[in-house]
Amino acid sequence: MPRNVATNSRPDKKAYQQTKAASGYAFSSGSGYPLPHYPFVEPPELAHALAGGERKRHNIVIVGGGLAGLTLACALNQYGVRALLLDEDNTVGVKGASSRGICYAQKTLEIFKRLGIYDRIAAKGVQWSVGRTFAGNDEVYSFDLRQQSTHNLSAQPPFINIQQFYVEGFLVEQLYATKNSSIDLRWSNRITAFEQNANFATLRIATPAGDYKIEATHVIDCSGARSPFRAWVAASVTAKKGDDRWCIADVRFKNPPPVERHTWIEAPFNEGRAVWQHLMADGVWRIDYQMRPDADPEEVSREDVVRERINRQLGRHVAHDEYEIVWVGPYAYRSECLDQLRHGRVFFVGDAAHVVSPFGARGGNSGIQDADNLAWKLAAVVHNRAPPKLLDSYQEERHEAATHNVLVTNRTTRFLRPADGAERIFRSAAISLAKHHAFARQLVNTGRMSSPNLYSRSSACHSSGGRALQNVALSWADGSPGDVANLLVWAQGHLLLLVFGPLRGNEARRVRKLAQLTGLRSVQVVRQTFAANAKEYVLDTQGHLAECTGNARWAIVRPDSYIAATGAQLNISLTRAIDTARGAAA
Amino acid sequence: MKSALNFEDADQFYESLLDAHQGLSRDQSEALNARLVLILANALGGTEQLAACLAAAVQADKPPHLQQI
Repeated sequence: MPRNVATNSRPDKKAYQQTKAASGYAFSSGSGYPLPHYPFVEPPELAHALAGGERKRHNIVIVGGGLAGLTLACALNQYGVRALLLDEDNTVGVKGASSRGICYAQKTLEIFKRLGIYDRIAAKGVQWSVGRTFAGNDEVYSFDLRQQSTHNLSAQPPFINIQQFYVEGFLVEQLYATKNSSIDLRWSNRITAFEQNANFATLRIATPAGDYKIEATHVIDCSGARSPFRAWVAASVTAKKGDDRWCIADVRFKNPPPVERHTWIEAPFNEGRAVWQHLMADGVWRIDYQMRPDADPEEVSREDVVRERINRQLGRHVAHDEYEIVWVGPYAYRSECLDQLRHGRVFFVGDAAHVVSPFGARGGNSGIQDADNLAWKLAAVVHNRAPPKLLDSYQEERHEAATHNVLVTNRTTRFLRPADGAERIFRSAAISLAKHHAFARQLVNTGRMSSPNLYSRSSACHSSGGRALQNVALSWADGSPGDVANLLVWAQGHLLLLVFGPLRGNEARRVRKLAQLTGLRSVQVVRQTFAANAKEYVLDTQGHLAECTGNARWAIVRPDSYIAATGAQLNISLTRAIDTARGAAA
Repeated sequence: MKSALNFEDADQFYESLLDAHQGLSRDQSEALNARLVLILANALGGTEQLAACLAAAVQADKPPHLQQI
């Protein structure tokens, strides 16, 4: 049984206080989503152990098949790295409570492009561009993302809304569809005990067919906000508890409202508290209602109470058959961040490592980006292309990202749930000014959308790097269209060296030799075909790729589409930058 | 008056502003705001600019049908 679903438990008044962020499913209701079921296969270790065989050691064990765990598995599969993925359940989402993350940002969509599931997400999900923010009965401001798209060089849109279980399901199917997949997917395998020494960890696993033990060189904890590993390794956590309470309703209207994101900071139909409304796949709308801090979670989630709220929102009695309640659940928000994302053999990824309020969609997106960050580093170390020290940069980079996400979401929480007194007065002032003055709209903080984080103190990035490279369009040598994501897939987990412009004298030979020595892939980037004189080259006719890499002579792009370094000259600085990017700097 | 966004980092300023008020009584908060207004006004300095800012702040408090923007 999924750990987050209570069985026949009597409603507890205190439960709201104890409700963990984004996992408060105890009072969830609604008709639910149909979910796939994956087969349990008896692990070979069970028979092996009965026969008195030695305990098997796995190089990489991923615990948890959510967004983070499945992204990691798909990336490792693409890099040809063997891994075991253990999930305690036999489906995606959480049974009876499958509606979680809905908003996937551009950086995440670019990762999905590389993993091969982007087209399915784009086909199933919803793109929207108009957002309106209201306070009371007034519209404070609106925006149309299409008008901003000229500044955007990625092949992926700013974001797509889709239910989380679809994303997870697509990732699972991608793994099953791969011939000779390097990932061993094990459903209904639950970790019940853990210990580790300097060289390996030992895991005890419960299954419907019995218990078994394995050893693991690397354990990747993707088991979510209630990770048991936090206690097992005695991880210290920096946390902030708030009293912001929400009730989320996923509903499907017969006659759907316009495809716009509506945000009320002070909704007249919700006692002056905030309301969010956005569309997902299958014509389902998510409506988030901010609750009183002392609201009873059971009551606010009851169907008749939800229907009464929707009547107030639409300003009329809405008949039962005009819409279906797909799912309802109360949420309490909090923020948490582990101080160390690595403890011995264990790496913490996604919600297991950090939890934020959902404002700006920084939860699922950051978990997916954690996984993408760690995957290529594990692959480089396993394939002996980089020293184990490269793995230290996971903490440096993703802890900085998590800290930033916590800071940004806490600011939004503070705007949406201001303390009485000065905080509320300033919010009212910002709202009243925002109706007339563009500057004040920036103060109205209904969430800062997830964007790629900067890595400013990573030992694996030069000071000229540490920022994401968008999935810029380019052309192959034969003129057919491609993009950066295609190049990264071609590089198969190796660092990618982009050299811009013609190669003079013995430069082509030097670059080729350097690539051989350090195991990176090099590509010449030229504006026009006649300028190309390397074996592998691409066309950047618009100069967008050059622009995104700061018009440098060369750029080292990592498999996670981050720029590790750029430089002006093909000299020793490039050799040093490659060592740094591999975690091999002296 | 600058109506367009001019903050280098609006979110960071807003947070610092709320932090400065944290734990203050209502009177202390009002006094802090008053001091801040005078300091910022001096930083701007221009008579016309300050008059426009003052008018904008007064206007924003009026019901919509009385506002002139």
